[in-house]
Amino acid sequence: MTQLSEAAPDLQQRLDRAFNPRTVAVVGDKRAMGYLWLNCMKSFDGKVYSVQVDPNEIPGIEAMGVPNYASLLDIADEIDYVVCAVPRPVAARIIAGCIEKKVGSVMLFTSGFAETETEDGIAAQEQITQMARESALLLIGPNCMGIYNRRLGVRHSTDQPAGDAGNVGFISQSGTHAINFSLVGAVRGVKCSKTVSFGNAVVLDSPDYIEYLANDPETEVIAMYIEGVNDGRRFFRTVKEAAKRKPVVVWKGGMTSAGSRAVYSHTASLATAPAIWEAAMRQAGVAQTESLDETIDAVNALTYCKPTMGKRMGLIAMTGGQSVVITDAFEREGLEVPLLTPASYEKLAEFFNIIGGSYRNPLDAGGTIGMGFVPGNLQKLFDILEEDENVDAVAMEVGASFIARRLRENPAMLDQMVATLAAHKERSAKPFLAITHPGHVEDVMADIRSRLIERGIATFGSFQAAAKALRRTIDYWQTRADLN
Amino acid sequence: MSVAEVIDNARSQGRTLLTEVESKQVLHEAGIPVALSVLARDAKEAAEAAEKTGFPVVLKVVSPDIAHKSDVGGVRLGLESKEDVEEAFDEIVDAVKAAQPDARIEGVAVQNMAPAGTEVIVGMSKDPQFGPVMMFGLGGILVEVLKDVAFRIVPLEPKDAREMVREIKGFPVLEGVRGQPPADVAALENLILKLSDFIGDHPEIEELDLNPVFAYPEGALAVDARIVIGDGQGSAQTNDATSRSS
Repeated sequence: MTQLSEAAPDLQQRLDRAFNPRTVAVVGDKRAMGYLWLNCMKSFDGKVYSVQVDPNEIPGIEAMGVPNYASLLDIADEIDYVVCAVPRPVAARIIAGCIEKKVGSVMLFTSGFAETETEDGIAAQEQITQMARESALLLIGPNCMGIYNRRLGVRHSTDQPAGDAGNVGFISQSGTHAINFSLVGAVRGVKCSKTVSFGNAVVLDSPDYIEYLANDPETEVIAMYIEGVNDGRRFFRTVKEAAKRKPVVVWKGGMTSAGSRAVYSHTASLATAPAIWEAAMRQAGVAQTESLDETIDAVNALTYCKPTMGKRMGLIAMTGGQSVVITDAFEREGLEVPLLTPASYEKLAEFFNIIGGSYRNPLDAGGTIGMGFVPGNLQKLFDILEEDENVDAVAMEVGASFIARRLRENPAMLDQMVATLAAHKERSAKPFLAITHPGHVEDVMADIRSRLIERGIATFGSFQAAAKALRRTIDYWQTRADLN
Repeated sequence: MSVAEVIDNARSQGRTLLTEVESKQVLHEAGIPVALSVLARDAKEAAEAAEKTGFPVVLKVVSPDIAHKSDVGGVRLGLESKEDVEEAFDEIVDAVKAAQPDARIEGVAVQNMAPAGTEVIVGMSKDPQFGPVMMFGLGGILVEVLKDVAFRIVPLEPKDAREMVREIKGFPVLEGVRGQPPADVAALENLILKLSDFIGDHPEIEELDLNPVFAYPEGALAVDARIVIGDGQGSAQTNDATSRSS
C-alpha cells in the first residue's frame, strides 16, 4: 500500500496542499444531510464550489450562496481539495472527474466498500483504488470524514472551532473519533492543528499522514486512533521516527478478540496480536491509550506539562479522604510520593493547620488554604514544593466538589484562586496538574475546569486520570532521552 | 559452510527445518554463543568428536524425521569416556530403529555437556503485520504456563534488548534469588542483539528458537537451537508469534 509514496517523491508537498487548500469543491451535498459539507465549509477561508446535478438539490445550494456546477470540469479554478459525498455507484465517475480535472486531492465520504465484506463492495473499492493509483490521485478514504484544518476553517463537523491556530495533530481510521477528539478535546484544552479521518486507507495510509504531521511545524503533539495497519513495519518505522521529534499518542481500537472482529467490519483492516502491538509501540517510544478520555488526557499532559522524567510527586488534596486516594492513584501508576526535606517541614510547621489536616506529603490542606480560597497560604505551599528538591512534579485537587455551591456564591474568590494557580504554573519549573472532580453541582466544577484550561493548566477529571497521563508523559520523555 | 550454503543444501534436500548441527553452525559463525554440535556418522567418529569437544558429552540422534529425540531413545547425557560414547552411539541407533523403523538416521550429534545455568529462551517468529518479532522469556514452566515473555520488532537497538530482558515478570530470577549468583544480563542482551542482526541479515529465516539458553554468572550459551527457513518459493507464513501471545 506504499505505491503512491514510492512512486511520488512529492507526496508530502501534495499532502501539504490537501491539508492547506485554497479552493474546495463539495460534490453531492444534499438537503437530507442538512447540506452538512457546505455548512462545514462556511468557516473556510478560501473559495468553495459545489457540484450537484440533482435539480431538487440545486436551489438549496444556491440559496447558501455557493456557486454550483454540473461537473468538476466546469469549474474554471484549480481545485485543491474535493469532498466527495455521492452514493457508491456514482463514486467511480466522480473519481474519473477528479483525475481529469487534476485536483489536488479528493476525500471520499462515500462508504459501502470493502468494510461491508460484500463482493460488490470489495470490487468497487478495487476499482477506485486502481483508478487513483494509475493516475497518482491523492485519495483520502473511502468511508471517512477527511481533513479538519482549524486555522483555515476546513471542517468535517459544524461544531468544530475555526479561525485560530492549534498545535495538536490527530489522525483517525474512524470519523467519529476524529470528530470527537476535536470537539471533546476543544472543551478540555486540546487545540487541533490538523486532523484527518482516513477510513479504509486504500491509497494514502496512516504512515503518510503521520509523516506529514511529524514534518508540520504547526503540529507539536501527534495523536491517533488506529484500528489496523496495512504495512506494520512501515507504520512502526514512521511512528518511531515521529516520536523522536514530537510526542506521539497512539490509541488502538480492537485490542480484544471481539473488538478485532468489529474492526474488520468497520474499516476492513486486520488486527495484530495485542501483546505484539503493545511491544512494538513501546519500542517505538509512543504513549499508548485505550479511550478518547485517556487520549485527551495524555495529549494535555504532554502539551501543558513541562517535559519531565521525575517521578516524585508533591500532592495537595482538600480533605483527609482525598489525601489517601490521590496518593494511591499516583503510586499505582508507579509514581512516588516521598517525604519532603526537613527545610520544607520547618516552613510548613509555621503556618499549616494540623487540626483536620497534615503535611507529611500528601498535604491535606483544605483547612490551611480554605479549600483554595486563602491564596496567601496556597502560594506558600506552592513555594515550598517548588523549592523542595525531593519533589519533581505537583498535583492538586482544586476545590472540593461538595462545596461547589459556595464556590458559585463567591465568584471573586474563585477568580483569585484561578489567578494564583495560573501564576504558579507560569513561574514553576515543575509540571503542575490540576484535578477537578465532577460532583453534584457539575456546572460549577465544569466552570472551574474550563477556566483552568483557559489559563493553560493541565486539568483532569480524576486523580487516576491525572496520574495515568503524567506517567505516560514521563515514559515518553524518558524513552526519548534513551533513544537520543 | 556459510549460512547460504547450509540453506541451499537444506533446500536441495527439500527441507525447511535445519538440523541442530546446521542451526548451531550458522549461529556460531554469526558470533552467537552456542554449544557446538559435531555430526558423527559412526561410533568411532563420535568418540573422536567427544575427545575434541571435551567430556562429559551429550549424544543426540540426527534425523530429519524425528521431532522429539528423547521419546525414541535418541538422547544420551553425561558420557565421560570414549568407550561410553561408542557404546551409546550404537544404543541410540538401535533404539531409534526399533522405535521408528522408517526414520532416516544421518548420524549422531556430539556436544560438550554445558554446565547448567539459569534457563532462558530466545526466539523469533514472523508476525503478519510487523515481520520478524523476537521473543525473550525464562525457560520451562514460566514461558509455557504463564506466558511471561517480552516481544520486540527486529531490528533491536541496545535499549530494546535492555528493556526486553527487564520487562518479564521473572526478571528477579536473573538478578539472583535465594543466594543464587546473578546471571550475566549483559551477555544475554548481547546475544539478543547479535541474533537481531543475524535475523536482519537473513530474511529467509522464518522461525528461530534457542531453547534453552543457559545464563551463567559470566556469559551465556545457547544449548539447543532450531531454525526454520522459507522454502525459497515465497515465505512460509507462520503465526507463531501471534498464537503465543493470545
